[in-house]
Amino acid sequence: MASQDVAKYLKESHDRIFENNREWAAEQKAKDPEFFTKLSAGQEPDYLWIGCSDSRIPAEQITGLGAGEVFIHRNIANLVCNTDLNVMSVVNYAVRHLKVKHIIVCGHYGCGGVKAALTPQDMGLLNPWLRNIRDVYRLHENELDAIADESKRYDRLVELNVVEQCRNIIKTAAVQQSYATNGFPIVHGWVFGFQDGLLKDLKVDHEKMLRDIQKIYNLTQG
Amino acid sequence: MGLSLDALERVVAGNKIYARKATEQDPQFFKTLATGQSPEILWIGCADSRVPETTVCNCQPGDIFVHRNIANCLHADDLSASSVVEYATTHLKVKRIVVCGHTKCGGANAALGDADLGPTLNTWLLPLRELRRKHKGELESLADDDAKAVRLAELNVQQSLDVLRKHPTVSKAINERGLTLHGMIFDIAAGELRVLDQAKKGNGLWTAPQ
Repeated sequence: MASQDVAKYLKESHDRIFENNREWAAEQKAKDPEFFTKLSAGQEPDYLWIGCSDSRIPAEQITGLGAGEVFIHRNIANLVCNTDLNVMSVVNYAVRHLKVKHIIVCGHYGCGGVKAALTPQDMGLLNPWLRNIRDVYRLHENELDAIADESKRYDRLVELNVVEQCRNIIKTAAVQQSYATNGFPIVHGWVFGFQDGLLKDLKVDHEKMLRDIQKIYNLTQG
Repeated sequence: MGLSLDALERVVAGNKIYARKATEQDPQFFKTLATGQSPEILWIGCADSRVPETTVCNCQPGDIFVHRNIANCLHADDLSASSVVEYATTHLKVKRIVVCGHTKCGGANAALGDADLGPTLNTWLLPLRELRRKHKGELESLADDDAKAVRLAELNVQQSLDVLRKHPTVSKAINERGLTLHGMIFDIAAGELRVLDQAKKGNGLWTAPQ
């Protein structure tokens, strides 16, 4: 494409976003004239969603939730790293200020980040981030190496990564203290599958996971 | 306890409806999605539940690569956001990056006050409070808290764009293949997106739509 064609194309895709946005806003107002006034008054989401940045998994659409219902953090491969101030701020705000009832870590099969971590290769700036997924692999090396089929091994690492991130959330003071006082939030681990568009519940046992980690990570004692 | 399991059942049921509808409309929908993603846009937005990017832009799964955090902040030393930017720019080769703030932002509001938010949020919002300090005169001249919060959100978007411009891979992509950066504010009360550059034309203040 000549440079003016590129510029025209970019302009069009840019304009499309605004056209789409106006259409959406008009639709919502037609359905409920007070929709945006109510939205503007504040948010009281029941859920915190920690998902992958992947463009194919917009949390609100795949769960059928509307604007105002789910607080969302998305990063590469839905990681909850213990020293990452970014995700820790999100968890802190969602639990202590918004008082969410459920925290959902949602991974997905076919995750590029997990795939990259399974491929021993120098990824430059991405190395330190992907190292967290390689660490999950190392934690579950025996189980994973026993899976002969490569794509099944990859799928299993996606699942184990989600479970490990659930554990990381339960390690936080915000979650442990709120759960001790209020009985929430409860942490869930899910995986989205492109084959059928459905969410698979990994059946993370919040209560048991909490008990298991509290020998070392108990932060409920002031 | 006050915990309702219905909230969770609703999401699970919602997902089943979504999967069924999408397959009815296009039996190949998920098969196509499974082959990969090639989004044109990276969206850096707020975690706020009221600004779901794909919904407010009336887009489809596959259109927008997303990072959302408290108050859509970009700090040069934040490995999470930097990894997202790096992956989107180098591997997905997105054509544009949008940083989107919004009205009624809890993070901006908190940064305008002096309450102790605890060590985690105090640290995360420190750059926002720094912005407030730098622009003290201008912010104080504004009529009410909402206007102050929107102006701070806008300054924050501009600062994030500055951080992006300095990201090595981003500046290379801007020069070599015409990657463009865009600042926006989502006006929750109107449901509409505003481009920041246009708002800058007047007195530099973001203004509510007429």
